[in-house]
Amino acid sequence: MKSSLKNMVVVLFIITTVSALLVALVNNMTKEAIALSNQQTKDAAKYKVLSTTSEEAYILCDTTRLIGDFAINVSTVAKKSDNAIVGYAVETPSITKSGYTDRIILMVGFLEEGDDAIINHVEVLSQKETPGLGANMTKPGNSLEQSVFGKSASTLKFSVTKEGGSFDALTGSTISSRAYANAVESAYAGYLWAKGRLATENENANDTASGASLTEYNNPTESEPEAQKGEVENE
Amino acid sequence: MSKLQIISKGILKENPTFVLILGMCPTLGVTSSAINGMGMGVATMAVLIMSNIVISLIKNVIPDKVRIPAFIVVIASFVTMIEMLMQAYVPSLYASLGVFIPLIVVNCIILGRAEAFASKNGVLDSALDGIGIGLGFTLSLTAIGAVREVLGAGSIFGFTFAEGVMPLLFILAPGGFLVLGYLMVLFNRVAKR
Repeated sequence: MKSSLKNMVVVLFIITTVSALLVALVNNMTKEAIALSNQQTKDAAKYKVLSTTSEEAYILCDTTRLIGDFAINVSTVAKKSDNAIVGYAVETPSITKSGYTDRIILMVGFLEEGDDAIINHVEVLSQKETPGLGANMTKPGNSLEQSVFGKSASTLKFSVTKEGGSFDALTGSTISSRAYANAVESAYAGYLWAKGRLATENENANDTASGASLTEYNNPTESEPEAQKGEVENE
Repeated sequence: MSKLQIISKGILKENPTFVLILGMCPTLGVTSSAINGMGMGVATMAVLIMSNIVISLIKNVIPDKVRIPAFIVVIASFVTMIEMLMQAYVPSLYASLGVFIPLIVVNCIILGRAEAFASKNGVLDSALDGIGIGLGFTLSLTAIGAVREVLGAGSIFGFTFAEGVMPLLFILAPGGFLVLGYLMVLFNRVAKR
C-alpha cells in the first residue's frame, strides 16, 4: 500500500490503540489467575519442603519479618490429624548477597528436634542464574541442597566450602552458591525470630494486639502451643 | 513452490541459525543444554506461526513506510499476551518455557520472516513458513545445546554420564561461539552436497 502522511498516521494510531487495548484486556483477564497460580506454587512449596502434602497438613499461621525492603515469611505447618506441628517453612530472599544476576528466593523447611532445627528440603522459588550453571540449583538433589539436607542449622557455616563453609558449591557457580548459602542463613535467622516471637505471643495469649495469627494458632483443640511443640515428630 | 517445499526450505536451504544467521542472541544465550535449546525453539515456533498469520492478514492495510514499526507493535503485544495467558492458564508449561518468552520479542527471526515472507504471501503459505523456519530453529538449537551439554557437562537431556570431568568452557559463552561456528561449517558443508 502506498504511503501518505495521512494513512501512515491513521494506520499506526489504529494498530497501537488496538494492541494496547488487547494487552490491557488480557492483563485484566489474567491478573487474578496469575496471582492465584503463583500463590498455589508457593503454598505447594511450603508442604514440599517439609516432606508433607496439603492433604496431610495445613498452615497453622504465617508471620512475616521485614528487614529493610525484604520480607522473611515464616509459615508454621501442622498435621491435620492431631494438630502437631510438622515444622516451619521459611520463604526468604538472599538478603546481603545477590546471585549472579539477581537475588535468589528460597523456601526452606525446618523440622524441630529438641532445641535444634533440622533443615529438610529447600525449594528455589525464584532465580535468574545462568542456565546450565547457577540455574542447576533448581535441580533435585543438587550439591547445595545435599549439603544442608538433614543437617542441624546451628552447626552449619553459611558459606561455600572453599571459604571454610558447609555449602558444597555448584560446579563453576561460586557466586550463585554464596547467595544460596546467604538465603539459607536468612531463613534460619527468620526461623529463630519467628519462634521467639511465637513464644512471647503465647505467653500473652489474651493479648488482642497479636491478632489473627494468634487466633488461628490457638486451634480448636485448645491444647497449649508449647505442649504441641513437644509432640513434634521428626520423620 | 509447493507447500512441502516451504516447510523443508526452513530446515535446510534457509535454516535460520546456520544459513540466514538470524536470532544469534537467544541462540548463544539459551543453548547451554539440549532441553533449553528445544524449549526456546518450540516457544519461538509457536509465536512465529501466529505472527506470520496475523501479519499476512493485515499486510494490505499497512502503508509501506511504516510497516516495520507496525510489525514490531503487533509482534510485541502478541508475545506479551501469550506470556500472560500461559502464566495464568498453563502454569506448568510456563514454568518450563516462560523464561524464553520475553526473549522472543527481540528475536529478529520473527521480524525477519514477517518482513521477508509474511508481508508478501498468503495466510496458509505464511503459516507453513512459520512451521518450517520454526522447526529449523528448534532443530538447530537442540543440536547446539546437545553438543554443548555433552562436551561441557557430560550429560544429554539431563541424563549424566560423565560428571565433573568435562571442560566447563562449553557451557559458558565462549563455548557457545565455538560450537556454533563449527556446527555452522559442518552444516553448510553437508547441505551443499
